[in-house]
Amino acid sequence: MTRTALVVGELSQGRLAGATHEAIGAAAIVSGSPAGVSVLLAGRSARTAAGELARSGVARVVVVEDPRFDAGPPAVLAVQAAATAARIGVGVVVVGGTTFGREIAGRVAARWDGAVATGVTEVAPEGESVRVRRPVFGGRATETRVLGGPRVVLAIRPHAFPTPASDGPTPPIEVVPAADLPAPLLGPIRTGVESAAAGAGPGLSDAAIVVSGGRGLRGPENFHLVEELAASLGAAVGASRAVTDAGWRPGSLQVGQTGKAVSPQLYIAVGISGAIQHLVGMVSSRVIVAINSDASAPIFRVADYGVVGDLFEIVPALTAEIRRVRAT
Amino acid sequence: MEIVVCVKPVPEAETRLRPDAAGTALDPEGVKYVLAGYDESAVEQALLLRESIPGSRVHVVACGPAPRTEEVLRAALALGCDVATWVDVPAASADEPLSAARALASAISPHSPDLVLCGKQAGDNEAGVVPAALGELLGVPDLSYVLDVRWNAGASRFSLKRASEAGLESWTVPAPCVLGLQQAWNDPRTAKLPAILKSRKAPIARVTPPSAAADPASSPRRFELPPPRTGAKMIEYKTADEAATRLVRALREEAKVLP
Repeated sequence: MTRTALVVGELSQGRLAGATHEAIGAAAIVSGSPAGVSVLLAGRSARTAAGELARSGVARVVVVEDPRFDAGPPAVLAVQAAATAARIGVGVVVVGGTTFGREIAGRVAARWDGAVATGVTEVAPEGESVRVRRPVFGGRATETRVLGGPRVVLAIRPHAFPTPASDGPTPPIEVVPAADLPAPLLGPIRTGVESAAAGAGPGLSDAAIVVSGGRGLRGPENFHLVEELAASLGAAVGASRAVTDAGWRPGSLQVGQTGKAVSPQLYIAVGISGAIQHLVGMVSSRVIVAINSDASAPIFRVADYGVVGDLFEIVPALTAEIRRVRAT
Repeated sequence: MEIVVCVKPVPEAETRLRPDAAGTALDPEGVKYVLAGYDESAVEQALLLRESIPGSRVHVVACGPAPRTEEVLRAALALGCDVATWVDVPAASADEPLSAARALASAISPHSPDLVLCGKQAGDNEAGVVPAALGELLGVPDLSYVLDVRWNAGASRFSLKRASEAGLESWTVPAPCVLGLQQAWNDPRTAKLPAILKSRKAPIARVTPPSAAADPASSPRRFELPPPRTGAKMIEYKTADEAATRLVRALREEAKVLP
């Protein structure tokens, strides 16, 4: 028996986040088809964003037009999600793999009394239950868990699920009032946002491609080689701890055990030797490319493709080749 | 101000991972357990707040089995936490995030803290569920991915930063609340030898939650290691341009990660 699902949508500047499309893809696997999936959108632009789900084939889009969801913390949407899930009577709630999704998942699970798994990369119905796989220990191991009981909450990992095709029927839109939002949860107030470093490129944690630079670049004046390669790919820029500790680039770019963990489709390590502390932050990337002058560097043991050579020659040539391919 | 900081014992980073006999979890044999990195940032934040708010107390709470849980509580005491509570549950409960949140909430709730700090996730399971679940179970707001928490006594609110996809957000949050701390934004202090020695004899309150068993609705099935990587496929080339052409071709046609 499959479960009907509720996807909790995330709006980013009035548009549906990519993570929400991926969550619909995951939910359709649990439910057997998009027709078993409802989508919740909350916030001032919810009705407009619902238009992006035309021909998605989902069962319905539940729209809650209320500005408290734009200003408030993720917890208020979690309350709405638990209430909507209970009202529709779904068996699984799915959220995208963003910072927002993780926070929603914890509260929905506690409030709705659902078994929960986050960072999920594979999902399948198993009898009455839901079987999930998820990387643990920074991608150095994988856990398979079976979630039973009538209610299951899943937060999926970024880029693990395909965006579903849009060749189905256009779903009906149900506009409903907001659930009863507990006053304490409306206490937190967002007072500002400094946009991510220089506002350029995608965020490190949710980028499909990451290009990181390490000590092999020899100095901050050469880091532009990494940034230009990243720009040619539309990729996010990362760095090893050696680079951020030396102050060549801010700590927010650090990939590794004491920085950010990333799992893009493609990870390109430039001049990074591959200390364990860096590897745990990127080893679960789908495809890893290493460019390094030292053929014995540990990074080549986890990489799928390696180029041994002078990065000062290889990287500009690679940037040029990608620009050429993209232009044709 | 009563500040609770939740910590979790996790295997140290260099641990060689190995499945247990049942193949469903990490084999704990010979594993050294330490404070999770995110939790170190949370402990540091708790101590900084105590130093800035007169009359504050830092109460460290951990759930899990002996002896690892007691060991990390002593490590937190050595760093400067004032009192410690051990919530005695089996490893399976500590590793299932909702069960862990319920166990922690039952121990924290009687103390009515003004602030509960956690690492935003632990380095083993990486679930990131506990802070938000604790917020729900304690009936207070929560935020995660948090750094740099300060107390604004005039407004009776915390001001803090939050790292999200949008960038670095600024928030103010009233007490009481639960905050999940980012790792590595502060520079956690290290314990000094006299404090380590003193922490060995410090009392630790042991409590057992109403339900210590792991949530039966979530059962681990398999714990596996990735197949050993066979090493990189090396790109052979004579010129840098040739290396670039071959690599891009491989990424497009073989790996299919580029359009």
